[in-house]
Amino acid sequence: MTIACTFGYSKPQTVEEALRLLARRVGGGIMPLAGGTDLVAWLRDGAVSPGHLVDLKGLKELRGIRLVKGGLWLGASTTFSEIAESPLVRRHAPILTEAAGMVASVGIRNRATVAGNICSAVPCCDSGPVLLVYDAQLHLATRQGPRTMPVTRWFKGPRATALPKGAILVGILIPTGRHAGAFAKLKRYRGEDLAQASVAVRVDSRGNWQVAYGSVAPTPLRGPKVEKLLKGRKLPEADLIEQAVKIGDTEIAPITDIRGSEVYRRMMVGVMLRRTIQLAARRLAGEGPDYGINILEEEAS
Amino acid sequence: MNTNKVVGTPSIRVDGLEKVTGAALYADDLPFGPGLLHAVVVESPHAHAKIKSINTSTAEKAPGVVRVVTGRDFPYKFGLYMQDRFIFPQDRVRFVGEQVAAVIAETPEAALRAARLVKVTYEPLAAVLNLADALCKDAVTIHPDLANYERVPWFFPRAGTNIAHWRKTRKGDIEKGFRQADYILEDTYTVPRYAHCPMETHAVTGWFDLSGRLTLWASSQSPYAQRGVMAVALKPFGLSHQDIRIITPYVGGGFGGKAGVSMEIIGAVLAIAMKGRPVRLHWTREQEFKNTSQRQGVVARVKMGVKKDGRITALEHTLHWDAGASAEYGANVVNAVGLSATGPYRIPNVKIDSVCVYTNMPPCGAYRGFGYSEFHFGLESHLTRIAKALGMDPVEIRKVNAIREGDTLAYGAKMNPGNLVEAIDRVAKEIRWGRKEKSGSTRAVGKAVACFWKAPAMPPNASSAAYLKFNEDGSLNLAVSGMEIGQGFLTVMAQIASEVLTVPVSKIRVETPDTDRNAYEWQTVGSHVTWSCGNAVRAAAEEVKAKVLATVARAKKLKAADLYLEAEHVKNRRDKSFALPLREFVIDGIMLADGRYVGGPIHGTGMFMPEFTSALGDPETSQGGHPNVHYTVGAAGLVLEVDKETGKLKVRKVALAADVGQAVNPDLVRGQVVGGMLQGLATALYEDIRYAPDGRLLNPNFTDYKIPTTLDCPDKIVSIMLETPQPDGPFGARGIGEHTMIPAAPTIADALEDAVGIRLKTLPITAEKVALALNGIEYDDVKGDHLGFCFIGRPSDYSFEIG
Repeated sequence: MTIACTFGYSKPQTVEEALRLLARRVGGGIMPLAGGTDLVAWLRDGAVSPGHLVDLKGLKELRGIRLVKGGLWLGASTTFSEIAESPLVRRHAPILTEAAGMVASVGIRNRATVAGNICSAVPCCDSGPVLLVYDAQLHLATRQGPRTMPVTRWFKGPRATALPKGAILVGILIPTGRHAGAFAKLKRYRGEDLAQASVAVRVDSRGNWQVAYGSVAPTPLRGPKVEKLLKGRKLPEADLIEQAVKIGDTEIAPITDIRGSEVYRRMMVGVMLRRTIQLAARRLAGEGPDYGINILEEEAS
Repeated sequence: MNTNKVVGTPSIRVDGLEKVTGAALYADDLPFGPGLLHAVVVESPHAHAKIKSINTSTAEKAPGVVRVVTGRDFPYKFGLYMQDRFIFPQDRVRFVGEQVAAVIAETPEAALRAARLVKVTYEPLAAVLNLADALCKDAVTIHPDLANYERVPWFFPRAGTNIAHWRKTRKGDIEKGFRQADYILEDTYTVPRYAHCPMETHAVTGWFDLSGRLTLWASSQSPYAQRGVMAVALKPFGLSHQDIRIITPYVGGGFGGKAGVSMEIIGAVLAIAMKGRPVRLHWTREQEFKNTSQRQGVVARVKMGVKKDGRITALEHTLHWDAGASAEYGANVVNAVGLSATGPYRIPNVKIDSVCVYTNMPPCGAYRGFGYSEFHFGLESHLTRIAKALGMDPVEIRKVNAIREGDTLAYGAKMNPGNLVEAIDRVAKEIRWGRKEKSGSTRAVGKAVACFWKAPAMPPNASSAAYLKFNEDGSLNLAVSGMEIGQGFLTVMAQIASEVLTVPVSKIRVETPDTDRNAYEWQTVGSHVTWSCGNAVRAAAEEVKAKVLATVARAKKLKAADLYLEAEHVKNRRDKSFALPLREFVIDGIMLADGRYVGGPIHGTGMFMPEFTSALGDPETSQGGHPNVHYTVGAAGLVLEVDKETGKLKVRKVALAADVGQAVNPDLVRGQVVGGMLQGLATALYEDIRYAPDGRLLNPNFTDYKIPTTLDCPDKIVSIMLETPQPDGPFGARGIGEHTMIPAAPTIADALEDAVGIRLKTLPITAEKVALALNGIEYDDVKGDHLGFCFIGRPSDYSFEIG
């Protein structure tokens, strides 16, 4: 692989140093580098040509998965493989476990980070819908000091986020509590693929539902109307689920592109809603398969 | 009964350990030291445009750049069967991605940076991007000079049009055949373009040394064909065959895409431009898609008449092929189909028109199956539909019409041995044909059986040679120029030599080709090397054996006829105690009582040419020639599970039976069945090429062009080998390489219909298309114009008119 542009490279050891480096003025601009699975491909294609890269992999503060006050903490350097294999994540945020196992391929999962995934913020990012149903809090480091931001305010458009210029996403806090859920991802085959569409659902022990969609709008987005419809129903009946499918269709705005037509995406969001709601309800009742399946590839009933 | 000891056994691959340990070297691995130069090409952004000017001055001054070359430096054409491809285009570009210049620099980065500085001014021309536009009355001609192109005598281009070749086959009385029919079905099937997707992209390093010798290290299936094409194209530089040397290390997948010549010729001229220094050119994955060759897209009209009992009375098969900007190889695919588009069936009245059409799309060429996968999709789908209309079993209708040895083929020659009926029965049994399988509430299961056949498409004088020599330790070097492209060719050749000479396979070193050192081979294509080169190796081994026995007979005063080989020893039928190890004399000879020696280094050569073939059939009917050497026939059965909500398809089981004549290595045949079936299923289910309306390829990558992963394999693949010997094959073997992917697409289409009652007539059959069809939505209505297209609009609108 040949990369035409030339750039400087730093690997700071502290967040302060990283912020200082990111604040410098460099011809061509400065970009942060984490797993590099998006950035290196953009460099190869000439889509970006930064003058300097700041590698965040040296920052110890960005590492690790642990339980903290307020929830489950995912350091920004956490890779999808680490998430997929983490017993803590499986216990406290199992929908993320389910989604992580479907991200790209093993090689990519070993490098790509969940933080990088939402920083790239492509509409099909797999972590988007999952973090949305968890109401995750994003912890940022800025030169003015630490800040937090709910993930619901993060996505601003395709490849656009609310991350202030020069700031670093240091970690993601996922509130914990008894719940169940499911993630479904529509792919063109069983191998690694970008989502043609995806659905994440979460239900807690009081029957509060969170629903989110990926790849069917300029950003990942929540489904408040479906959430309201299902509220208080731990075991929604078949006709309520069919209503949810109908209402879900009004919450999304998919386009026709090379990965699928609008009509197919709409149909499949319906199938995914139906199957994930059923699966989440079963899991909440202590039934249903372990997290880590793609319900679109399994027998639905 | 098989009395062979090595042929027919699953010998371990001779290249296996090297490859699994990473020791095997590929074209781009070879070290050339710090003097190596790197090249990057400048590509056309237009599908069709006049080149007004090319300004290289800024690029030439860029750091690290040593030279920039354009069509002004190399105004030459090339091509395997027709010289219609340009080393660098002259007055016009003909597809998006065509190379208009190349930058040579000290590093790949410098070359890439400078390539962006080459300024090309174009005047866009009307682009011909689909068959209807290419064939209409006032079509823009893509090759105005077509009449003057050098070509083989069996191509029939039409000057002043975009028709590069038109193969017509006529047998019997087609009108009468349809009059005799009780039922006639006519419909259109379309198969889009596909890309080969080898793991290793094309790579070449050229070195024009100070003595004027041109050596190329290339990732290629065809070292000798490359040398031949280059000797013609590079004649203006005073180069002839003896001045050009092609060395081909291991190849990471070819599938036809590395047959003939594509980008290698650029490597050759860049080396000539930089005499004394090696120059490397290595395609990116994107270039691999755009600027090597693709499989041609085709729209096919099948009209078939049958009697009530299922016997076919007439077949009219019209195929229009999108060859892209060059047909130098693709026209021969069109030719092969024009001769064989009856499929493996006895049909008394036949009319085939196979038309090769230039468009401003990327050039197409050879691809595993050589057109047969494409026409079998329509033909086999059609046969199942006819059976259904007659109320007949789709397996039965195939048995009723199955071709048999001695039947008259569409072009008049006789069919070779092969047991198609048994193949059909075996796969039907394997998938429990006729028995409904259980499925869950959201799923349905369907089954299908389809037949296939294929012959190598070769010039009548395509030939093979082999050179075999002994070493002091009794081991052997076998120098052939068939290419190991993953199929196990080297192992099979070693097995054939081993069978004759009793030297174990592990002691026979078979190397990849070097045209200076290894014996001649036409090309490694057409599933013909086991058969053709195998015959040459067997002949070489027999010659060696004769020399061995003659030497011993002379030295020991025995009759050669009494001597035989066993376990690396010469033995004597008349004296059980006699056993002379080969290693003791095959180089050093045998000492006589008086101290003199008899014998010397023993080596042998063999050659093979199918002397019975001829391409000189009548252009209007194809009668009179004998264009094909033999067909391999077989059948496949498939069990498909359909998710009725998502349209997702899962192959539970596939069984493939082929009459291989003799499986020289059953494990390798099994490898061909598994690999071919996966490749075929990929074209049927996932690979979905997309072009923008301006002719740009939208998915030249594996993000959006999907080939299967291990997760996408069928649950079970069963391979069944039938062995009706091929009389002129080595130990009875005939070809089995490409064949295994041919039945994949029709079995998917048929099994889908069996499961859920929908019939799809356009490939690929993606989950999206299935889900839409199950909901009564036409894919063509929703896919969106801006998305790209297969190569025509709506298949049912295509008129097959030629203006």
